[in-house]
Amino acid sequence: MEIIKRPGGAMANRPLHFFWLADCSGSMYGEKIEQLNYAIRNAIKPMQDVAADNPNAQVMVRAIKFSTGAQWHIATATPVEEFKWDNLTSNGVTDMGLALQLVAEQLDVSQMPERCLPPVLVLVSDGQPTDDFNAGLAALMSKPWGKKSVRIGIGIGQDVDLEVLQKFIGNPEVKPLQANNAEDLVKYIRWASTVVLQAASAPASQVKDQVSTGVVPIPQAPIASDVEADDVW
Amino acid sequence: MSTLLQNNQIISGELTQQSYSIDTFLGAGTQGEVYRAQANGRDVAIKWYFPHYIQNDLQLRQRLENAIRKGSPDNNFLWPLELVTQQNNNTSFGYVMPLRPNNFKSIVDLMRRRAEPSFHALISACLALSESFLQLHAKGLCYRDINFNNVFFDPNTGDILICDNDNVDVNGATGAINGTPRFMAPELVRGDSPPNTESDLFSLSILLFYMLMLHHPLEGKREASIRCFDQSAMNKLYGTEPLFIFDPQDNSNAPVVGLHDNALVYWVLYPQFLRDVFTRAFTTGIEDQHGRIRENEWRVILINLRDSIFYCRCGGQNFYDSDSVKNGENQKCWACNHSLVYPPRLRINNAVVMLNHDTKLYPHHTDQSQKFSFATQQAAVIRHPQDPNRWGLQNLSTNAWTITLPDNSIKTVEPQRSVNLTAGIGINFGNTVAEIQV
Ligand SMILES: Nc1ncnc2c1ncn2[C@@H]1O[C@H](COP(=O)(O)OP(=O)(O)O)[C@@H](O)[C@H]1O
Ligand SMILES: [Mg+2]
Ligand SMILES: [Zn+2]
Repeated sequence: MEIIKRPGGAMANRPLHFFWLADCSGSMYGEKIEQLNYAIRNAIKPMQDVAADNPNAQVMVRAIKFSTGAQWHIATATPVEEFKWDNLTSNGVTDMGLALQLVAEQLDVSQMPERCLPPVLVLVSDGQPTDDFNAGLAALMSKPWGKKSVRIGIGIGQDVDLEVLQKFIGNPEVKPLQANNAEDLVKYIRWASTVVLQAASAPASQVKDQVSTGVVPIPQAPIASDVEADDVW
Repeated sequence: MSTLLQNNQIISGELTQQSYSIDTFLGAGTQGEVYRAQANGRDVAIKWYFPHYIQNDLQLRQRLENAIRKGSPDNNFLWPLELVTQQNNNTSFGYVMPLRPNNFKSIVDLMRRRAEPSFHALISACLALSESFLQLHAKGLCYRDINFNNVFFDPNTGDILICDNDNVDVNGATGAINGTPRFMAPELVRGDSPPNTESDLFSLSILLFYMLMLHHPLEGKREASIRCFDQSAMNKLYGTEPLFIFDPQDNSNAPVVGLHDNALVYWVLYPQFLRDVFTRAFTTGIEDQHGRIRENEWRVILINLRDSIFYCRCGGQNFYDSDSVKNGENQKCWACNHSLVYPPRLRINNAVVMLNHDTKLYPHHTDQSQKFSFATQQAAVIRHPQDPNRWGLQNLSTNAWTITLPDNSIKTVEPQRSVNLTAGIGINFGNTVAEIQV
């Protein structure tokens, strides 16, 4: 019989709710949506590793897809250890505002546990909203958990409306990331699901003069790679 | 997933001109990535910096060169051995250090209960940490970033390794790293002062509290009242309004049942002298840098703590607390809840060493001039070869001991001979005297 060596349980921690908000509009059709699927699948293991190395957080993942309307892609908050990604398909318009409405509902105090780490929202899009984005953003920001969320915006290709992503982020010191090729997308998605995840729960060593306004300090994002001609969208 | 170096890539040592061949990726941090590498069939670890980090830390190269020149404070540091560079790439560089063996686990594993040391091994790890940081500070250096991720331990032995030594600098120098939230001293969280030896000592107290109690010493009611644990919450809890969860003068931040159970379970398990030192660390030591607990005090406390371990018949390790024994409290085993029976013990000056079936004494115990030395065994508890009910203390030193029996008669115990564990026997080890108590 293995004797218990010491009493007590694991160190106390808090849930951290992580939301993907993925653009599935018609313009994402083809390579873009497949590259997004690939980039997210690629980020699962690193995300799980970061979570496993972080005793302060219990990471729960959900995902919203938006095109004509917005729906839950992963509706139940899933422990990151069990997080799997079913590929998205694309067609329709870009109802980004509705996606923000949908996530806002879940960030209502009545829907959230009493104590949490700041939620993390990662918005990925290649275009501009076709619906009332401002109304969606207002709904999100009307929720205390929405205001306290850490928001990251990743743009795909040249047609993305960076201004909209910047508005979503709501912190002038954190810029939207623009992925011009598949490699950058992989890098940015991975950064959002590891470095940002870590920053929101157990900030790493504080580098002097790093971005420190906002909900939590966000470490510097990776730098875009040199663009190779055949890899450009 | 690595982003900087590739498998089989060759990088070269600045000092030795040695070629290192990059093997597997080991992990990434805020400053760079760490890889296993080989040189001459020998495994080493190589840290390679993110180019953007180098731009932010202009003293990095100089600091590393100094560290390499001075060498490691002791064997427990995964200290930089030499700088490495890559041909045709001057955007970054790195350094070589010893590779951490697989039997070492992180403090995160301890917190998540994926590594389960005995109390004995755990306290040995705390002691080794205090000793290594003492060595580093004694050299006039400051570590700057004591936290969960930079310390590793062997759950079976309590051996430790300290990595991430690239922020180490002369105490008082300006550096790029301010520390890690939850570990930073309040004056650093508030931005009032840069890291120094005194703020390292605060972080060490936090780390020791975490290791022994699996909880943060400032996370009580105030933490529970925070809904969203963000930057401003952390600034308040660890910077502007820090309050110890067991502050004897102010219980407004006491641990909350159901949320902070580890703190409640462990606090009462340890002897009063440990509670006293943590109380000082997080009351007077919180605002007053002069009130921080120094490593040499931790050493004494942690050795005494380890010496106060004894076994319940269920095998559980418990702690002897002479204060509670004096108060006539009936101590129960935390594991099986049976009343505990104390083994014989040895009183040496103000310290008590429990004489368990496996207790060993070292120069630290038997020679006042060799405090903190655990180099050689000087005595061991053994069972009488013919009479299993008789226990003794065997002299493993090279000198005879003089013992005084309860009737005041005097005898010698030659090397290899043993003295009965009988109440009232005094042992003179040479320059140190002790008394057996039952
Ligand atoms: N000598 C080593 N042997 C094995 N793994 C190491 C070694 N040094 C660091 N690591 C691992 O590499 C990762 C990053 O290391 P670290 O030095 O903490 O990075 P940073 O300082 O950039 O945060 C961590 O997972 C750490 O455990
Ligand atoms: Mg580090
Ligand atoms: Zn027991």
